[in-house]
Amino acid sequence: MSVVLALVALVIFPGGLFVILGSLAYEYVDRKLVARFQNRVGPRWFQPLADLVKLLVKEEIVPVGVNRGLFNGLPLAALAGSLTAALYVPMAGLAPAWGFRGDLVVTVYLLMMMTLCIGLAGANTQDRFSLIGSTRALTQLFSYEAPFLLALLGPAIAAGTWRISEVNAYAREHLWMIVTQPLGFLVALIGLMGKLELPPFDAPEAETEIVSGALTEYSGRGLAFFRLGRDVELLVGLTLISAFYLGGLGNPLHFILKTLALLFVTAGLQSLFARLRIDQTVGLWWRAGAVLALVQLLVLIVLKILGVRL
Amino acid sequence: MSAEADFLRIQESVGPWVSGSRIAENRLDIDTTAERLLPAVTAFNKLSWGYLSAITGLDSGIAAPSDGHIEVLYHFCKGPSVATFRVKVPRGDPSVPSIGGPVPSAVLFERELAETMGVRVAGLPDGKRQFLSDDWPENVYPLRKDFTLESAAPTQEDAPAVGSGEAPGTFIIPIGPQHPALKEPGHFELTVDGENVTHASIRLGYVHRGIEKAAEDRLWVHNIYLMERICGICSHIHATAYVLGVESLAGVQVPPRAQAVRTIFCEMERIHSHLLWLGVAAHEAGFDTLFMYSWRDRETIMDLLEGLSGNRVNYSVNLLGGVKYDIDGKAADSVRRGLDFLERRTKNYLRIVTTDESFLRRTRGVGAITFDQASLLGTVGPTARASGVSRDLRAEAPYLAYREFPVRPVLDTRCDLEARFVVRINELFECYRLVREMLDRMPAGELAAPAPRKVPEGEVISRVEAPRGELFYYIRSSGGVKPDRVKVRTPSLCNWAAVLSVVVGHKLADVPMILVGIDPCFSCNDRSITLRRRGSARRAKGADSRRAGSADSLESWSWEDLRAYGISYYARGGT
Repeated sequence: MSVVLALVALVIFPGGLFVILGSLAYEYVDRKLVARFQNRVGPRWFQPLADLVKLLVKEEIVPVGVNRGLFNGLPLAALAGSLTAALYVPMAGLAPAWGFRGDLVVTVYLLMMMTLCIGLAGANTQDRFSLIGSTRALTQLFSYEAPFLLALLGPAIAAGTWRISEVNAYAREHLWMIVTQPLGFLVALIGLMGKLELPPFDAPEAETEIVSGALTEYSGRGLAFFRLGRDVELLVGLTLISAFYLGGLGNPLHFILKTLALLFVTAGLQSLFARLRIDQTVGLWWRAGAVLALVQLLVLIVLKILGVRL
Repeated sequence: MSAEADFLRIQESVGPWVSGSRIAENRLDIDTTAERLLPAVTAFNKLSWGYLSAITGLDSGIAAPSDGHIEVLYHFCKGPSVATFRVKVPRGDPSVPSIGGPVPSAVLFERELAETMGVRVAGLPDGKRQFLSDDWPENVYPLRKDFTLESAAPTQEDAPAVGSGEAPGTFIIPIGPQHPALKEPGHFELTVDGENVTHASIRLGYVHRGIEKAAEDRLWVHNIYLMERICGICSHIHATAYVLGVESLAGVQVPPRAQAVRTIFCEMERIHSHLLWLGVAAHEAGFDTLFMYSWRDRETIMDLLEGLSGNRVNYSVNLLGGVKYDIDGKAADSVRRGLDFLERRTKNYLRIVTTDESFLRRTRGVGAITFDQASLLGTVGPTARASGVSRDLRAEAPYLAYREFPVRPVLDTRCDLEARFVVRINELFECYRLVREMLDRMPAGELAAPAPRKVPEGEVISRVEAPRGELFYYIRSSGGVKPDRVKVRTPSLCNWAAVLSVVVGHKLADVPMILVGIDPCFSCNDRSITLRRRGSARRAKGADSRRAGSADSLESWSWEDLRAYGISYYARGGT
């Protein structure tokens, strides 16, 4: 019986199908919001699904000079990483499907799979745009990843646990951590945008310079998986940040309201800025992001040592 | 100093090397020979008078294939004055020295001359073709009078891939001919070291349509519509430059009201062009919100133009001798309302490009063209004005209604990309003011004067200020119903040299913005060649077999062919 339940959790809910459909819905909301902010009409509700289906049935072109196994395997690995990460977070406001001590660290690494796979995929081809794109993607990874991790550690330290479900439970019983740790929230949210290569952190795929960056040579199935993986990562990231900073996720209504509120903010940020050059991105993260996250962490540790209850 | 005194000074300085010179109103013609050209230009250059505006090649004709001559005209301009060095070289072996030494901006013009007119330019650095396609046959020059379509059959089916000559250890990023940053085809090769650009080169000519040659085969009046199709944005200014030249050759007096209508369209077209550029430039910086908003507002001016002329792009306003459309009180009111809206929006855009922190990080101090570079490399238009070089023909050599409605040139001395934004946006305010004033004080009277079918023999230089800078037309008539030569030099061609020298040393991410900063217009640039392929792969198989027996082996599709091809295309399911 537990095997059946585990399979359901993996394939239908909360993993698998539910996450895929949910992330497509969130992609729709994101695209629609950005479009409305930019005075455009935006897509219809089924457009992300239609895009996915269209890409899946299209011919997949494997360029000359690539390692075929890597070329086909990397999109799957990226998607698998994001889907697996979805099992450890309180998806839909319910308890995570799976969890253990220290699953927070595992989740953060699973979320990193995506960028690593994109970087490798770009380096695997001989295309110049892909090579520059993958260099930029990996450069960006090294700049936002540490501050992002530090920002997620803040709530974990406050809760005194490395287990996502316990941090979530702690967050529900205490003052919202966006109030007690505003710096950490800011770094985490912007870190998520950097992770997803959303504007203004879209230098790795800046279309006016390097076409589509690392994914220039991808078409059809591979591209569909990468895009889907990124959507899932968006959903997982939003869930994680709302669970940690927005007072935890106790039920589906909480989940929808809090993640959509976060999405609204990120969509606004996406349409507010011009693209940062990659050197500006790195500078911003190490000069501002990392310092802010460290300050936040230091304050927490000092308070913890002094025995102040948060 | 008056133009006359200037001309006398020039005559004096180049005296030893010239065989004759003539002064007419605003024109100085200096005859010299190929051997004496370089010292003459060097001496002239020491005066620091004006800038090289264009190089025109004239073919004497096909009466005598081996003798006859080709005349090369070097036009230097300052304000309303034009000084022209004229060199005649034998048609059998035409050769002139390159003046790229004293005048660096001459190189692109000389290359165009060499490729299209077949004049060997000694000292021009060897390089790949710049304007003609790679499979264009050797020794066929499309602007020669004896050029025929048959002689232009491509030498090979597929051109060699561009960028194939990469030296080991270098990493070249190709931008174009098809690239998301370019809305029109051009090709740039950027050698990069990491993110830094160490070398840049350009290849033009992807949208050659043979317009200069085609103009020689059409009636004077037909050419208005042909010239209007040189550019998809500044269509009206091309037609205006052409009709101004022809009218001055034919001695036609254009009624004041027609001049005012033409000028209003010129300024509204400038508004359209600058708003379009603002959006494109913002998009290059990844600032899509500004892109979307400025293009939304651009619809306003396009709707107004459509309301006045019935067309959104090719307004077709000009006639030889006047204009087709009047602007009545009701139309003027709708234009005023539109301008009020646009003025409010433009204030907002000015605020954004001068205060938005993330945008300024991409524009402030980026892509600086210094005053010296801008004047030495012959930049024109807003690009020059953003570097403090005051080149605006509307103010320096007023034409049309700009005499009665003077323009205040917008200058900026900061030289960087931000300055180019600020100059163009401030020019928008100047456009709004001009259009309003002209609408308020519209002269009464006729809309057109009669123009003759034949234009008397002679030549004329017509220069106007297009949205991108000085637009240069050289028109020559042999007294017939068709022009003998129409030479077009568009503003973009003047600005490339400055851009290519500035790009080096910048980050790859800044390159698209710097390229777009001059508002390049490739379709304007590439206008001089007729290109037709024999049996190219693009041709439909059905049409091929059906036409296999046809004696005409050149690809020229009749209306029936096109129609049949369209039907078979969709019958096959669009493949």
